[in-house]
Amino acid sequence: MASLRNHAEQLNAAVYRNYKKDRKVGEGAYAVVYLGTQLSTKKVVAIKKIKVGQFKDGLDMSALREVKTLQELRHPNIVELMEVYFHKTNLNLVLEFLESDLEMIIKDKSIVFMPGDVKHWMLMTLRGLDHCHRNWVLHRDMKPNNLLLGLDGQLKIADFGLARDFGDRGRQLTAQVVTRWYRAPELLFGAKEYGYGVDIWAIGCIFAELLLRNPYLPGNTDMDQLDTMFRALGTPAEVDWPGMKSLPNFVQFKHYPRTPLRLLFTAAGADTLELLESMLIYDPNRRISAREALLHPYFFNKPRPTPLENLPKHVRESPEEAKKRRKAELLDTMTQDERKRVFRVLDFKS
Amino acid sequence: MASHDKLSLLNALLTLEQLQRTPSREDGLSEEQEDSLRQFGCHLIQTAGILLKLPQVAMATAQILFQRFFYQASLRKFAVRDIGMGSVFLAAKVEECPCRLTDLINVFDHLSKKFRHKALDPLPLFSQEFYDLKNAIVVAEMQILKKLGFNVHVQLPYAIMVNYLKVLELTEHPTIPQRAWGYLNDGRLRTSVYVCYQPPTIACSVIWLAAREAGVPLPMQPAWWEVLDSKLEDIENIAGHIKSLYYQTLPIPDLPLTITEVEPYLQRQQQITLALIDAEKRSSGGNANQAPDLDITMTAAGTAEGPDRKTESKSSAPRSVRVSRFS
Repeated sequence: MASLRNHAEQLNAAVYRNYKKDRKVGEGAYAVVYLGTQLSTKKVVAIKKIKVGQFKDGLDMSALREVKTLQELRHPNIVELMEVYFHKTNLNLVLEFLESDLEMIIKDKSIVFMPGDVKHWMLMTLRGLDHCHRNWVLHRDMKPNNLLLGLDGQLKIADFGLARDFGDRGRQLTAQVVTRWYRAPELLFGAKEYGYGVDIWAIGCIFAELLLRNPYLPGNTDMDQLDTMFRALGTPAEVDWPGMKSLPNFVQFKHYPRTPLRLLFTAAGADTLELLESMLIYDPNRRISAREALLHPYFFNKPRPTPLENLPKHVRESPEEAKKRRKAELLDTMTQDERKRVFRVLDFKS
Repeated sequence: MASHDKLSLLNALLTLEQLQRTPSREDGLSEEQEDSLRQFGCHLIQTAGILLKLPQVAMATAQILFQRFFYQASLRKFAVRDIGMGSVFLAAKVEECPCRLTDLINVFDHLSKKFRHKALDPLPLFSQEFYDLKNAIVVAEMQILKKLGFNVHVQLPYAIMVNYLKVLELTEHPTIPQRAWGYLNDGRLRTSVYVCYQPPTIACSVIWLAAREAGVPLPMQPAWWEVLDSKLEDIENIAGHIKSLYYQTLPIPDLPLTITEVEPYLQRQQQITLALIDAEKRSSGGNANQAPDLDITMTAAGTAEGPDRKTESKSSAPRSVRVSRFS
């Protein structure tokens, strides 16, 4: 160890040289995501480049949160942070690359979900989340879009940009977290102290979405979100949720009766609905925990979770492929005459 | 970087080599000079944190990041003020209590002026100096992250100490908890204790020190520290480090804040050393038992190259640092 001083620099340079960015796959609020290659293993990776502007407020908080939490968490159902390096003034996070996510699968109506599929996805999500919670990390942005799916069928929780530690009583947290449709009622009422319940509520919404193939509680505004929620699950009374009225932004809503879940989820079994119901309990203190949920009979009853390799997969297509497929679909539905007309108009060559 | 190893609840500690051959020392600074600059930086962070109304945990984290950083970089290349600002900025984010860049700049500018006994005029918001400081913070933040390999996890011994006090049934004692807490603060403030020992050992040490001073006997069969996974040797070492603080005063107005002030400072130090050696030569032979520990602006004691002088000056504090196996 001749030069301890340059150790960090050398490591950083070595890491940088080991990766190649191939193409841009997405752009978020604070980062650009590239598809890349780990040159030493030829493994495909996702590289999240975080822009650090000279005159902004330094490194983005979410980037720091992501690095900090992902360094701590290693689990088959949590996306792996493989490496972090600097290049010029940009911070680069090297993450595992997964082909699709749960949102794509839900939207891809050509796929039919079997009850076992939903069960396995829920199982993997809960396993990952339980690992977070046991390490006192709240995810705070659970949604189908952040549940990535690999080609092997494995589901991994991603995007820890809002994640933080919890369990420290008296510490104020912000209520402005989680995408609205998946936001727990206590957050909508502006609670400053909360716990694992916010992630569980979101998972409950995802569970319902997997059963319905449509977002379960799609509110347009924060107020409308509460309204939508109460329409679906009934307006809570003081007995359902003690302490609700002392929350900062509490508003009394119109009284809606509670409709039994089975009226909406007609195809779901009793154990399914029981688990869903315990995830969507208004009182965060009575809401089921990830650990308890994993031990729920739902996961032990038949049907068994579909084996990984048989889970439905969504193949992410390139824009050209998508165009080709849409054209083929369109042509399929048309009669011979219509086709000719369309060919003339659009000048399709093949 | 370390991202393949699972992070544990233990702090990253240094190896003996890292501890002895710090970048600053390889760059020609003496142990004492490095020590006083480190102390100065931590003092700066603590004062700034109070003015910024940050929670204590943010300052503690900032100071540890600061200490760790200068085991990867030289104090001749990176300014105490810049890295101090960067550590506060980063630590505030890590501890989920982010502070505004503007506030940070104003506070550090105010403190620099105060330390230099200059007029305390606020810095104009659109001045070049303001932009320079802002830029310095962003750069420093990046540098810290880079040099530490993004390992910004810091474990603090406060909670552990409270638990240990409970176990030892000392929580109701009139002085011990307060004193032990104070020692934790100071230990973090001033020395590199936190990069050499794990939090439980540090917690034991401050309790040991406080209980000793209060004359309270603690269980000895078996020795209470053994039950708490610590060794007496480490405990005594840390205690020595912490106590040594109270025999030194920091010559704040003389210490360099920015990188341009470093070289003139080192030159001044060199001259003092030369003058001292000179004086010693002239009066040589006479006074063998000259008290070594009272000329503590720290400048005099350490910079002299003579090896015998160096060993003499250590009498007030056990300087030898045992390095843990955890590193």
